[in-house]
Amino acid sequence: MSAVLVAGLALAGCGSAAGPRSTPGGSDGRLVVWDWKSGEPSAASYIEQAKADFAKKHPDVTVDFVNQPFDQYYTLLGAAIQSGKGPDVILFNGGGQIRDRVDALMPLDDYLAEDRQRLAGWDAFTRDGRTYASPVTLQGHPIYYNKTLYEKAGLDPANPAMTWDEFVDDCAAITKATGARCFALGNKEGYGIQFFLSGLASGILTPQEYDAWVGGKRDWTSPNVKRIFELWKEAGDKGLNNDGANSTAMFNDSFALFQSGKAAHVIGLMSDVGHWRDFSEFLTADKLGVMDAPVVSSGAIPSLPYDGGIGYAVAKWTKDPKVAADLVRSLTSTDALSAFYAGAGAIASDTTIDVSGGGPAVATIVSKIKTGKPAPHVALSSKTLDLMGRLSQQLLSGSVTVDEAVKQLAASDQAG
Amino acid sequence: MPIANPPPSARSAEPGRTGGAAPSGQGVRRSGSGRDQRRAVGRPRADRLAPYVLVAPAVLVIVVLRLWPLLLGANFSFTGDGQRNGTTVGLDNYLELFRDPLFRGALRNVGLLVLILPVAVAIPGLLATFIHLRVPGHRLYRSVYFFPAVLSPVIVGAIFNLLLAFDGPLNAVLGAVGIGPVDWLGDPDVAMFTVVGVHVWATFGMALVVFLAGFATLDATLVEAARVDGASLPQIIWHVIAPSLIRTIQFVFVTTMIGMLTSMFGLLYVMTSGGPEGSTYLPEYYIWVQQGQLNRPALASAASTVLFLIMLVVGLLQISLLRRAGREA
Repeated sequence: MSAVLVAGLALAGCGSAAGPRSTPGGSDGRLVVWDWKSGEPSAASYIEQAKADFAKKHPDVTVDFVNQPFDQYYTLLGAAIQSGKGPDVILFNGGGQIRDRVDALMPLDDYLAEDRQRLAGWDAFTRDGRTYASPVTLQGHPIYYNKTLYEKAGLDPANPAMTWDEFVDDCAAITKATGARCFALGNKEGYGIQFFLSGLASGILTPQEYDAWVGGKRDWTSPNVKRIFELWKEAGDKGLNNDGANSTAMFNDSFALFQSGKAAHVIGLMSDVGHWRDFSEFLTADKLGVMDAPVVSSGAIPSLPYDGGIGYAVAKWTKDPKVAADLVRSLTSTDALSAFYAGAGAIASDTTIDVSGGGPAVATIVSKIKTGKPAPHVALSSKTLDLMGRLSQQLLSGSVTVDEAVKQLAASDQAG
Repeated sequence: MPIANPPPSARSAEPGRTGGAAPSGQGVRRSGSGRDQRRAVGRPRADRLAPYVLVAPAVLVIVVLRLWPLLLGANFSFTGDGQRNGTTVGLDNYLELFRDPLFRGALRNVGLLVLILPVAVAIPGLLATFIHLRVPGHRLYRSVYFFPAVLSPVIVGAIFNLLLAFDGPLNAVLGAVGIGPVDWLGDPDVAMFTVVGVHVWATFGMALVVFLAGFATLDATLVEAARVDGASLPQIIWHVIAPSLIRTIQFVFVTTMIGMLTSMFGLLYVMTSGGPEGSTYLPEYYIWVQQGQLNRPALASAASTVLFLIMLVVGLLQISLLRRAGREA
């Protein structure tokens, strides 16, 4: 009788210990993930898919998603990194946010070799040749246009302008026929210039200049770099933008102007907001187009400007990096990313996902990912971007010259 | 000085009261003073310590939660950011601040607010006067004027963003009467005045209520007498009402100034984001940008210290003004 009791207790003990204590799966049989997405309803099926995929590989390891508020995210993460313990798998924004914190992360190159070709956007999660996270979404700046306005102006919506001069002519025709402006521009916060720079740079800079720019060797004395800011001023002076661009908020007043047909083009985003799915709701998917940057200077080859948006990394203090890396791979599996694309309307990093049901705009974007390059404004420091925002407003109002603006930007860029 | 005050006043009050009761009989006074002596002899140390013990919680709260962090912040402003995190850099942050045209612009805007202050006080003062003089519909105006004071700055900012948009209703009205559109929030020469105007609109209800309370103490016969003597309305306001309300006016000056310097952030954030061209920066917005957006906490501490010193000077000036006015009245 007592023997049965003891055995029962022992079994119960084993059962409760299986969770928190060690099991063959490695890192205590439990992985903790930090992110700011798993609480959103639109991401629910994505998380489900990823969990199911991971459970097939490691059925004895439980995964806990901890949804943190985004405005506190990096503060909380900073505290975890300081103490040297915390989540095993961490969601990051690409670029500066992850590059500043690679000391706390595990290089994942050995674990992710198989995903190299299937996924895009690695650069944003790479520092000094090592990869620290696997990209989930891509963020970039396509030029969207309203095909209905093109038709009304007697233009062929299937063949938008290839050069800047043609583009300006088309815009003049559209404005004459419909009263709509060329660009919907919101530059109240100074973001308009960032989108303009990234959206149009591939049509202005030569491929060598472009690569040097994103690689950190920016030649501010180059005539083509100066041309970007001249074009910005020209677009304002010639009335290509909506009125009051300096008092129009980008999110979401400028996008609203485009959606309501008051402007023919907008340089928008690929994921989250101000993107193809938002615009399709108003303009309908088949009337929304995506065009290449119009070529301004000879030798320029237009390309889609984009970077890795968000991606999962592995903390260096995790017990078994192999298991954590497998979770990262599950979170970026084709099935999971398909669910994320369908649920949230984000352009996923997986280029093999079928997007044909989303309309021509998203199909065009995905087809340009292979030849795309990092966005130029992402390479600038936040201090330089802040300055560029103010200078761009001064350029529009005419209180600073292009030469002076470029000089100040060069000084800020070279200082830090 | 205030610490030493309570015991003597408590003790002196008792003989005073018993002294007043003297005509009713001497025995009362004798027993009263006897109790007083016993207390003074029996518990002198407790009496001396009691006031310190009583104020200790308040002093501790101020020292631990106010003064100590203030010192830490000031100390932090002498260290570096980023690469130089934690190292002492002397006055580098302050030099950088005063070399930054953006921060100088923010200080200039503080000066502008001080200059606009009389207008911001005069508006509720005048409107309260009209209400007090019972212009037709004064009951309606009294509640309507106070209404914006209950709205949060974010809501007010959002409303005026719509009204003042370049293609918004205000410009449409101006266009209808033949005046060209004004980019209220996009023109660097106009934007600061727009935001201050909206701030005054949103907050003058409070000042109006304070003025109305002041009017309640006004001697109606004085106004009546002036009227009988044939004084015009401007003369009544200037020579009768304004001098009687001098304390109220000064109180509104102080509170309006504090409101302008410390609670414009919400409006700036929603309406202009410090723009256009950085023309609507105030020190607190600058501090927020440096600390939260540009990751320069030490530079932000230096800016906070400068803002603190400005507020200290402005506050002390206003207190001395109030004291002088109090003595005159």
